[in-house]
Amino acid sequence: MAQTNLAKKNRTRELLVALLPVAALLVLFGALCLTVNLKGYRLDMYLKIVFNEGVVLAVVATGAIFIYSLGSFDISLGASTLFSAAIGVMVYNSTQSLPLMICTIFGVAIGCSLLSSVLASVFHIPVFVTTVAMMSVLSAVAAQIITANGGALGGIGIPATVVAPLDNVPFKLIALLVFTLICVFVFDFTKIGRRLKFLGSNPVCAKLSGIKVNVYAIVAFVMAGLGVGLGAFLTLVYTPSVTPTTAGSIGMNILVAIVFGGMPISGGSRSRIYAALVGGFSYILLNNILKIVIDSGAGYGISQIVSAVFFLAVVYVTSMNYRTKLLPR
Amino acid sequence: MEPILTMKHIRKTFSSTVALGDVSLELWPGEVRGLIGENGSGKSTISSIAAGMQKPDSGEMIFQGQPWAPKSMIDALHRGIGMIVQESGTISGVTVAENIFLAELDQFKRFGVIDRRAMNRKADEALAGIGVKDVQGSTPLAALDFQARKLVEIAKVVMKQPQILVVDETTTALSQTGRDILYDVIKRFRSEGRAVLFISHDLEEIMDVCDTLTVLRDGARIRDFKKEEFEPDAIRTSMIGRELQGDYYRSDFTPSRLEEIALKARHLQSGGALKDVSIDFHKGEIVGIGGLSHCGMHSLGKVLFGAEKPESGSVTTADGTKITNETVAMKHGIGYVAKDRDVESLALNTSIRDNIAIAGMERYALGNFLVTNAKEKPYVDRQIESLSIKCAGRDQLVSQLSGGNKQKVVFGKWIGRGSEILILDCPTRGVDIGVKKAMYELMTSLKKEGKAIIMISEELPELMGMADRLIIMKDGVVMKEFPRSESLSDAEIIKYMI
Repeated sequence: MAQTNLAKKNRTRELLVALLPVAALLVLFGALCLTVNLKGYRLDMYLKIVFNEGVVLAVVATGAIFIYSLGSFDISLGASTLFSAAIGVMVYNSTQSLPLMICTIFGVAIGCSLLSSVLASVFHIPVFVTTVAMMSVLSAVAAQIITANGGALGGIGIPATVVAPLDNVPFKLIALLVFTLICVFVFDFTKIGRRLKFLGSNPVCAKLSGIKVNVYAIVAFVMAGLGVGLGAFLTLVYTPSVTPTTAGSIGMNILVAIVFGGMPISGGSRSRIYAALVGGFSYILLNNILKIVIDSGAGYGISQIVSAVFFLAVVYVTSMNYRTKLLPR
Repeated sequence: MEPILTMKHIRKTFSSTVALGDVSLELWPGEVRGLIGENGSGKSTISSIAAGMQKPDSGEMIFQGQPWAPKSMIDALHRGIGMIVQESGTISGVTVAENIFLAELDQFKRFGVIDRRAMNRKADEALAGIGVKDVQGSTPLAALDFQARKLVEIAKVVMKQPQILVVDETTTALSQTGRDILYDVIKRFRSEGRAVLFISHDLEEIMDVCDTLTVLRDGARIRDFKKEEFEPDAIRTSMIGRELQGDYYRSDFTPSRLEEIALKARHLQSGGALKDVSIDFHKGEIVGIGGLSHCGMHSLGKVLFGAEKPESGSVTTADGTKITNETVAMKHGIGYVAKDRDVESLALNTSIRDNIAIAGMERYALGNFLVTNAKEKPYVDRQIESLSIKCAGRDQLVSQLSGGNKQKVVFGKWIGRGSEILILDCPTRGVDIGVKKAMYELMTSLKKEGKAIIMISEELPELMGMADRLIIMKDGVVMKEFPRSESLSDAEIIKYMI
């Protein structure tokens, strides 16, 4: 009886811990509304900004969960988003074809991810090294393309009318939901997802359980590539032009967002797709609140510091929660 | 005379598991007290609380007349209680000396730079202090085997001259030479009026080494035995709570097997570990493979499963398929229970469900792709039930289970998927007699079902007790094959091992 009560109590505690990120998201949402009202700004405008920025971050982060579940990470996702969008713009401007542009964006994004994963898994180069190299290369190439084709404008773009019909909440929400559902399905209800999580928990044991480590690492990067592709397309829908700074900070923001969403950075079986959604929007809300509150040129720097403090606090709390559950052997 | 350590009404829970209900324990100067009990009885928990690895939920501790609440294992060691843990307690990427002085590197700093020569010299002294001469402080830890690493841990703790030494199932990792070193350390503690808390599943060993014995069961102190009261059956009965007499191996002494060959190893060559090894494994047969720890038997297990590639030679199944990797092995019904359970066989921070399901998904995944709760939960529950895994539920983390129950999860993982050939490397390492008995019964029933079982073990009695055929290896070579026989003696086998 005591055992049952204890189990019940623990399940309740675990549920509450799991719900903390959602509670934090709601608190941040309330805080944004309050801050905007106190400052006398337009709430609808800020909600639109948060939504548009949040959708892109959440989509790319959702794909990235597959990589993070392996206990790995890809810092080049922002550069990859920029590169895919830039190539997409070039293709549209050459062909005037929206479907071809979309296919190109996805193709390039998946190609970039594949290249990272092949370098990492087939040639046994640490993921950190390959993704840092990819980030530098992709950013440089994209900047070169943009500078060479953008001239004095400092950016390249497609006519706003091409994507204007898609620049609305329902379309973006559907895109986000469909992609999230696909990811949840693959992650939680297929052998692929279950094996990825196990691989993140213990790669040695996973290999000795018949999981082909390299194959699954490549699958994870391909899924992340899909997220990058969709993120790049949604970026173009929101702002139909690309500059060398577009999506520049996404790579690092994903890491922070995923941790905000309650996923351990070590990956493994506690990886959750919703962490990307919750964390993505939480991060954007926090950023916008800080921008409004600080309201100065130093705002960006301070908001980064506050985000970093939040990040460390969340990592500490989650690791404490995990440590207290360990038996001595 | 006052006890060195008094633990009163200690209670500890992990999630929904009550590891210790209300346990009190005393340790007297010059006493070597054994702690014995089934896996999950609370032995490691109570000793790790004393040694500062974790804090009790409630209760009181007094050490040398003062309240005792160490902040960490290092704090406890510095203040007088040191512990040698069951699993690996060393760090691979650094040297032996760096492992020994990990938290105290500052003492070797000269003008901000660590004097490695002095540190290595001090480490050599610490090792020599327990009688280890063939391991040097400057050696990278990765170059040492599991036993040598354990000896490094022992040196590290003993060097601090603790008043109490906690030895948690350490001897399972040691050969006789290593055990003798540890026994000498224990004798020294006794003669110097210090105390030892000794945990082991080896009843013979614990009766030999200890002066007193405390039996724990399900987180409660059941009974104390003085040396003159030591009697194996009485101790076993206290441990398990029911009568368990005699041995628990196979009662028959006639070797038997089916004619059909399940797995063939031909001319396996793998560095120094395997030299021209050729063995046929039959269906319905338990083949025991024994020898000293470095004889090559553990490598053979990995090569048979495709986890290690031999330089030459082959492993083929009955249908002629060559085993080239783990995936091919599993497709052909081979399962592998690794020796290093916590690293190679389990993902500790993952649930029982995930650990059991991971190897068997193709058994129930729709279209070999879609995994549903409706199919997976009953699959996992069947293994939990049939192997009597003591747990709070399928979603409990494996790290929260005792050693024996962890091993049952590993068995469930491979048996659940219907493995026809089971390679078991030290299957009963660190498990209590109750679980051992259950595993031997399981092996016997799998044999009856026609499955081929390859049991690699460092324990001669279990090899002799269970195997239809016993293969002894030395320096990578098959030295001798013994058929099962009542007249087979240890002495006869050992001469081929050494």
